[in-house]
Amino acid sequence: MEFLQYFGGVFEPLSFMLLLGGTVGGLILGATPGLSPTMAVALLIPFTFQLPATQGLILLGAAYTATVAGGAVSAILLKIPGAPANIATALDGHAMASQGRGTQALHVSFLASGVGGVTGVLLLIFLTPVLARWALAFGPSHLFWMAILGVTVIGSLDSRSFVKGLLSGCLGLWLSMIGYDDIQGAQRFIFHDSLTGGINIITALIGIFAIPQIIEMLARGRTEHILRTISTGRQSLMSSLRLLSKNVRALSIGTVVGSIIGLIPGVGGQIAGLLAYDQTRKFSPDPGSFGKGNPAGVIAAESANNAMVGPSLVPLLTLSIPGSPTAAVLLGGLLIHGIFPGSDLFDNYPEVAWTFINSMLIGQLLMVVFGIWIASYAARIAHVPPPIMAAAVMVLALFGSYSVQQSMGDVYIMLTLGVSMYLLEKVGFSAAPLVLGLILGPIAEANFIQGSMIANAMDGPVDYFLTGPLNLTLVGLVLASIAWSYFSSRRSNQYIARASEQPGHASGPESGNAKDSPPGVSP
Amino acid sequence: MKKRLLMTAVLAAATLTGSVQALAEGYPERPVSMMVSYGAGGATDFQARIVTMMAGNEDYLTQPIVIINKPGAGGRVGWNWFATEADNDGYTVAAYNIPHFIAQSIEGGVKYDAGSFEPIANWGADPAVVVVGADSEYNTIEELLGFARENPGKVTVSGAGLYVGHHIAALQIEKAIGGKLAYIPTKGGGAAAMKAVIAGDVIAGINNLSDAYRARESGSVKILAVADMARSEEFLPDVPTLMESGFDVDNASVNFRGIMVPAGTPAQVIEKLADRVPAMFEDARVAKQMAAGGSPMKIMRREEVQAMWDARQKTLAELLAGLK
Amino acid sequence: MNLPAHKMTSAARAQHLVPATAILALAVTVAYLSHTREPAEAFMFPRLISNVMLLLALWNFVRAFLGLARVGDGLSTLTLLRIAPGVAVMMILVYVAAKALGFYVASFAAFLCLYSLYDPASHRSLRSWIKRIMISALFMLLIYALFSLLLKVQTPRGLYF
Repeated sequence: MEFLQYFGGVFEPLSFMLLLGGTVGGLILGATPGLSPTMAVALLIPFTFQLPATQGLILLGAAYTATVAGGAVSAILLKIPGAPANIATALDGHAMASQGRGTQALHVSFLASGVGGVTGVLLLIFLTPVLARWALAFGPSHLFWMAILGVTVIGSLDSRSFVKGLLSGCLGLWLSMIGYDDIQGAQRFIFHDSLTGGINIITALIGIFAIPQIIEMLARGRTEHILRTISTGRQSLMSSLRLLSKNVRALSIGTVVGSIIGLIPGVGGQIAGLLAYDQTRKFSPDPGSFGKGNPAGVIAAESANNAMVGPSLVPLLTLSIPGSPTAAVLLGGLLIHGIFPGSDLFDNYPEVAWTFINSMLIGQLLMVVFGIWIASYAARIAHVPPPIMAAAVMVLALFGSYSVQQSMGDVYIMLTLGVSMYLLEKVGFSAAPLVLGLILGPIAEANFIQGSMIANAMDGPVDYFLTGPLNLTLVGLVLASIAWSYFSSRRSNQYIARASEQPGHASGPESGNAKDSPPGVSP
Repeated sequence: MKKRLLMTAVLAAATLTGSVQALAEGYPERPVSMMVSYGAGGATDFQARIVTMMAGNEDYLTQPIVIINKPGAGGRVGWNWFATEADNDGYTVAAYNIPHFIAQSIEGGVKYDAGSFEPIANWGADPAVVVVGADSEYNTIEELLGFARENPGKVTVSGAGLYVGHHIAALQIEKAIGGKLAYIPTKGGGAAAMKAVIAGDVIAGINNLSDAYRARESGSVKILAVADMARSEEFLPDVPTLMESGFDVDNASVNFRGIMVPAGTPAQVIEKLADRVPAMFEDARVAKQMAAGGSPMKIMRREEVQAMWDARQKTLAELLAGLK
Repeated sequence: MNLPAHKMTSAARAQHLVPATAILALAVTVAYLSHTREPAEAFMFPRLISNVMLLLALWNFVRAFLGLARVGDGLSTLTLLRIAPGVAVMMILVYVAAKALGFYVASFAAFLCLYSLYDPASHRSLRSWIKRIMISALFMLLIYALFSLLLKVQTPRGLYF
């Protein structure tokens, strides 16, 4: 309970101002397309030069917390995930917003973020020594299997077509290999000069999600009826709270998955949201409703994203190992103040360390309050007429994709990917598995190659990749995940088949042969 | 018609040269971007942010320097972009890492060499060190390399990538012991390589002195040797150099960091930068923050850096030719 | 069941067959490149992935060929006509204008073009044109404040700004 002594530091006037500023600024930066939490925190580092260590870290902690949550705003309202973590949020969140439930989507998103985030920080406070060992347990072989576990989700992310879902994932994996390979430095698949640097994930997110969205708006044409805005019913905070309480399962799956996965260095933050989303759908009685505006999807994804924040700092604070790019930037923020994280951080600099952690705790709460306050205003974006919206998102996409690395090549890649994705979506491919492949490809490849190199120096690949309790557990999870998606895709195929036949047999008996006849072949 | 076209071309050329001169005089009149070819949070990025933090000051550049990260393939992505695409008007500068980009240009497959860039000034020198986990059975460099000599290819050694300082040091060690190491390049720079050592994924690691120093302070590693000509009196006075332990490894792998511009940048701009930037590095606040972060500084002016680049080019060409 | 929805018309089948063929061609190219390029270590993973991709692309092609692919509505001529001008504006903005004219000027022009092309309000009334120009200018000011002033992003200036 040592941390309670240091709460005073958070509420000193300057500190609290910084906390407030960091939260509000973080939400705005997080909601800007092209600005990931990592970049937002890196942008703030120069400001902390002028501040004492404690205050500097309060600013960084608050900004980190808020940018992760802020990414959900653009994911829900514009369907542009601010960071890889927000992809799963965009799936159901944007569907809700386009049904006129934007305020509600933002409410549950911030509430779930708050619950997940506070749990994560509490874990960081109470279980750090235990968790640190767990974070180190993952070597290259385990990280490889983790990435493969993520890949198995691909098959079930696209409920519409099994083949096309997998093929989308493969396309994503291939796209991730374009450019110089990170280990050998060899050039791969560089068809155009812009591709030398490979495909940046933030750029790809903007192109793949925003551009098809713009074209969909254009496809409605220049007619009067498009100006009729979506009717937005009254969406009180109470009704959102009730919605959250109805989705306790999604909330707990998200929080648990986020906290566990968030710990794993190098993999966690990127896929916590998608894995939580996938698990929630698998355990849902109505998996078909996901992707069509089911609040459970938003809740699971956002609680996982924010639950990850606290645990992802465990390896940083105890072992000085940054587990995520953002943690690496935070490490820089600590170092410039002469604070070396390590096992004795809490003994040497208790005030700095605990004030930093406390500020994240208070930051989570401020983020929820502020987020809910702006939700109803932000959701009015849905009232903007589609022509203006399309033009605005296009300009945002241009500036956002350029500012990631200040490179014109990225902008070309963004539009090319976006237009191709629109065409692919029209013939049944989907964006989410493709992006998942793009994210997991490099992780799987690097760890596979490192693992094989280590294995060659040791007892060979079979021994290295397939023995030990952790490897076996992960392989088991991979197999279970594949089996589950296979059976559930069969189940949903039957469901689709039955649903599509029912209009024809409106008065007839429930067709018993739906299972045997291949779906879609008319009798 | 043809005449008019020619006239226009001449006119355009005249305006262009005129504007270049005008540009150099008032330089810099807007913020300068600095490309770092490693990710945010890495040692190079972190140090680049510190040494440029005073750029906006009246005595230095009068305009802030904004860091842009273009990470990938051990720096190749960023430096390729810098050599081929960056404007050479002085508003885009970059951080260099020696021996990384010179070794990569010798190895081939990239669009730059030492001639593609003009150095401005050097801010730091970070030697490579050999580390093992805190609970490792090896306590001295002789024990570790002795085992490696008898068991070629069995000692796994992590480092930040291929053809970077760590890899050069590993190659030199291999040459010195006449045996093979299993060098494991990691993706994600020095931090990932250090994690592999601390977690016991590999037997040993070659890493930056600054990162290793911090890891030792937190009690997670033992530092066995420094790959430099002299011990680091400031940070690691108790750690021997490889040379004094009897291994013929010089300072070719020391990681020099500094600022450069693309070749073809106007001479006035280079002059101004070469005049102001070293002073900026010497600022007391910069020195204080660098020392706090455990980052060794080594400030060198343009002429010294040019000499250092030339020397490295020669040594590396010999070393890599001999090892291939 | 009269005229079942899932009975493929030949036009709809072509809608699936064309992309399936394109993706198969891509998969073949990727597999060919992966298996022929050196160094082999750098192409180990691409070989693995390209094999799986080739298999899936073949499967997808066969399904499209047999008319079994039903997911996705394809592109109707009407949609194509509707999106063509907008997509053209987007492409000109990104591939040509942004760099040549400068980000802010090009974006302003593209914003105004996209908005006017799809705005149902009259194209003859001066009033609606003033409204369009005002909104475009306001939005660009917002973008300038966010990216240039706050984030200090140096965008290409091109001929103008």
